[in-house]
Amino acid sequence: MKHEVFEKNIPLLFIGVILVTAIGALVEIVPLFYIDSTIEKVEGVRPYTPLELKGRDIYVREGCYNCHSQMIRPFRDEVERYGHYSLAAESMYDHPFQWGSKRTGPDLARVGGKYSNLWHQTHMRSPRTVVPESIMPNYPWLEKNTLNYGDIGVRLAVMQKLGVPYSDVAVAEAKADLEAQANPTADATGLRARYGAKVGQENFGGQPGRITELDALIAYLQMLGRQVDFATYKAQAR
Amino acid sequence: MADKQVETTGHQWDDEEGFPLQEFNNPLPRWWLYSFYATILFAVIYWILYPAWPIPGGFTKGVLGWSQYQELQKEMTDAQSARKVFDDRLSAASLEEIAANPQLLAYAKAGGRALFANQCAGCHGTEGSGTTQGFPILVDDDWLYGGTLQEIYATIANGRSGTMPPHLQAAGGAFSEAQVNDLADFVLTLSNRPADKAAAERGKALFMGDAGCHLCHGDHGRGSVLDTLGGQPLDHNTGAPNLTDGIWLHGGDRATIVQTIARGRASKMPAWGVDSGESLGRNLGPLAVKQLALYVHGLGGGK
Amino acid sequence: MAVPPPVNPSAKYDPVVRAPARGATPRPPVDLSEKYDFTVVKWFSIAAMVYGLVGFLVGDLLAWQLTFPVLNFDLPYISFGRLRPLHTSAVIFAFGGSVLFATSYYVVQRTCKARLFSSLLTSITFWGWNLVVVLVVVTYPLGLVQGKEYAEPIWIIDLLITVVWVAYLINFVGTLARRKEPHIYVANWFFLAFIITVAVLHIVNNLEVPVNLTDSYPVWAGVQGALIQWWYGHNAVGFFLTAAFLGIIYYFVPKQAERPIYSYRLSIVHFWSLMFLYIWAGPHHLQYTALPDWVGTLGATFSIMLILPSWGGMINGIMTLSGVWHKLRTDPILRFFIISLSFYGMSTFEGPVMSLKSVNALSHYTDWGIGHVHSGGLGWVAMVSFAALYHLVPKLWQTRIHSVAMINLHFWMATIGIVFYITAMWISGVMQGLMARAHDTFGNLTYSFAEIVQATHPYYFIRAVGGLIFLSGAILMAYNLWMTVRHAPRVTA
Repeated sequence: MKHEVFEKNIPLLFIGVILVTAIGALVEIVPLFYIDSTIEKVEGVRPYTPLELKGRDIYVREGCYNCHSQMIRPFRDEVERYGHYSLAAESMYDHPFQWGSKRTGPDLARVGGKYSNLWHQTHMRSPRTVVPESIMPNYPWLEKNTLNYGDIGVRLAVMQKLGVPYSDVAVAEAKADLEAQANPTADATGLRARYGAKVGQENFGGQPGRITELDALIAYLQMLGRQVDFATYKAQAR
Repeated sequence: MADKQVETTGHQWDDEEGFPLQEFNNPLPRWWLYSFYATILFAVIYWILYPAWPIPGGFTKGVLGWSQYQELQKEMTDAQSARKVFDDRLSAASLEEIAANPQLLAYAKAGGRALFANQCAGCHGTEGSGTTQGFPILVDDDWLYGGTLQEIYATIANGRSGTMPPHLQAAGGAFSEAQVNDLADFVLTLSNRPADKAAAERGKALFMGDAGCHLCHGDHGRGSVLDTLGGQPLDHNTGAPNLTDGIWLHGGDRATIVQTIARGRASKMPAWGVDSGESLGRNLGPLAVKQLALYVHGLGGGK
Repeated sequence: MAVPPPVNPSAKYDPVVRAPARGATPRPPVDLSEKYDFTVVKWFSIAAMVYGLVGFLVGDLLAWQLTFPVLNFDLPYISFGRLRPLHTSAVIFAFGGSVLFATSYYVVQRTCKARLFSSLLTSITFWGWNLVVVLVVVTYPLGLVQGKEYAEPIWIIDLLITVVWVAYLINFVGTLARRKEPHIYVANWFFLAFIITVAVLHIVNNLEVPVNLTDSYPVWAGVQGALIQWWYGHNAVGFFLTAAFLGIIYYFVPKQAERPIYSYRLSIVHFWSLMFLYIWAGPHHLQYTALPDWVGTLGATFSIMLILPSWGGMINGIMTLSGVWHKLRTDPILRFFIISLSFYGMSTFEGPVMSLKSVNALSHYTDWGIGHVHSGGLGWVAMVSFAALYHLVPKLWQTRIHSVAMINLHFWMATIGIVFYITAMWISGVMQGLMARAHDTFGNLTYSFAEIVQATHPYYFIRAVGGLIFLSGAILMAYNLWMTVRHAPRVTA
């Protein structure tokens, strides 16, 4: 075939480019939506509570993903250092995913529960106070900024639209649930009914009577990687 | 290589000024073409050996039957079998037996050191040398929950919750600001520091009476590990600190002491040997906790 | 047909910069500035230089922040996490994008002998793209991002980008349609493929549902989101930073060297194979993650098959100089082109190697990746951009370059800066990978993460110094171009 036909015919060149570039994209992306084993069937993975979702928004806003991965690879050293390798199921409600691409800081996929809230408060204010070698910036504004959560219901509603299994009640009660989780003495019956008994209800940010951005961020960090019970999980080939 | 004998394609562009664009029609370099074929061959072989192509109902598994999780499993099994001899002896022996066996102890401490550096140093500092207020230093002999091997093991395995209740009325306690200040003056005298005598006397009465401080800190303020209550030993599990030794978890200046008494404290040590429920922490397994306990015990202050 | 001599052999040329020699009688005027729309090319060239400086400056600030974290100044707006996306967007889309707009608009007009299709669409692309850049510069420091690497802009900006891009596509295709030449020149194949593919990538990857005026959540989540993101991310490299810049090579190298392109046949084969193979390579960014094994295999194997098609462009660029190698001695612009092609060849080999699972296991998540993108980003993209701008500016302003010596100096500053940068990152990257997996004789992890960070410190310092040298070279270039433009003859009506 004479290549000249492409050089003289714009529509042909145009279609040619579309065709050759479409093949790879379709073959790689589309099956991920229908091959069953892509996302493991596991117990325990739940949508974020409203407070955790706000925390996740702050995680994204501050660009934490530029330095921290949330993806423990199946290597001996990573499993020893960070815990069980990450499952696809563990990020299935992550819009967008936060696997990261560079570890300037450590992986955070299972940072939940590793440190106390007090440690996180100290660390976010001034990382080098607790980890002298750290090169992380200080984030003093997080404990100063009052959390703005007026639109939390809208956020859950959008997530619901995207397929995250929030019930209509969860959307309607988002604000109440958020406030309940940040206050250890509040009635959390509804919160726990919707998100499970393991949901932490604590004064994450350390300032009683105030919900700050730090409360939300720590609530998010403290739940990372703690949903799947790996004592019962069996590996599946994928 | 390219030479003037090679013809151009005859097409020409952009000839309005200077040199026009033209194209030679040199053949594809041989090495280039053969290398390209080689990479394609490489890919095809790779596809045959490894999981590669999506097909209806799944994907081609590859003749090697390889998966990244099997690779990990093999890696872990190899590592475990290399360690098996020592690990088995470690599992079978009690903490005290290990401590008495220099060979086993060296092995346990090496494992403990690595675990500590990756899991514990964030709060307790490099080799337990401490970081900042709120996180105990582990190189001294001051223990909130006891410094025996068994006690350290229990602390690591199950975690600790150190709760000091608030005393100021405004913070949910039962005492006035003046009373909190009196208590602080008394606490200062416990570590032989200057304080208002009269206030300290009033504080002492509260400490031993209505405020009930002695119930946890003991009759002499020496803490749950060392002190007694009416001659009886205290429950080590309350973790009430020794107030007489000048070592302060949250800070020993007057203002901080007032703050501690007024607002209370809630310290958390994650659990490392139980499957996480609501508590902080994770399960590193009994072997790892054992090694950590022996390592921490050997940092300088183990009893 | 034999190679013809230059059209106007009698005119005195500066042999280095292809412009009338100082003091020479100017060539008989070919009134190209009337025939073609060079105004937009001029403006995009200026924009490219300005955004380049901003992007490099922010990049080097980030390098110093990693060396001395106190330089974050406890200010949210310049903290590392918010500034890093600004750096990547500034260098790729503001600097690289402006270079591509300038060069593609120039090349398509010259090689089609046709004026740009629509002056309205031209204005939309220029002002629209600059508005995008300004909005990005304002929103990122405020923390308004959507949390996808290299696709951080919020949904409103994404919409604006789409509008600009569609205008660009129509304008480019429209100009091709008006061509007076029977054949579409090879540079334009690359430009066209780049514009089409980037449009698809941008739209699919940025499907999102707004929460309010600034915030949105992407449609894609988890493992599928990861693959779509890196399908986008890798092909931003493949089509934005590779295919399009090869378009530059295909026009500017033969023009600067005054030699025909080495092989038409090679250009056909490597064009189509590049287009077909590149799109598959994205999953190599996700080796050993929760992405299924089979996708990783495809990512790795297609990356390996991509080596030679990528090198096709390098061969065609470098071999175009065969017969005139001596010009490298006197022409620093050609030297910029050739070193950029060398870095291109190196990066397009290194990348596929890093895509192999066993290498990726070590290199991923470390500074090796940073070294790799900068040997591509600085060594290839920035160098070829510098060369194209040095070629373009005297032509557009109908003058000669202010100082050839400064180009020479810039060449060496850029090269030395890059060498500092990438060797530091290679060493620290391999070191990080090895330290992370090191075990002692008993089988315990040898190092904690904090110890790895500590060990990296000296390399971060060297990297920041290398970046500073590179940035200084770019400042010198800006000065040189500014003086060139300032001394250009004023056109009087």
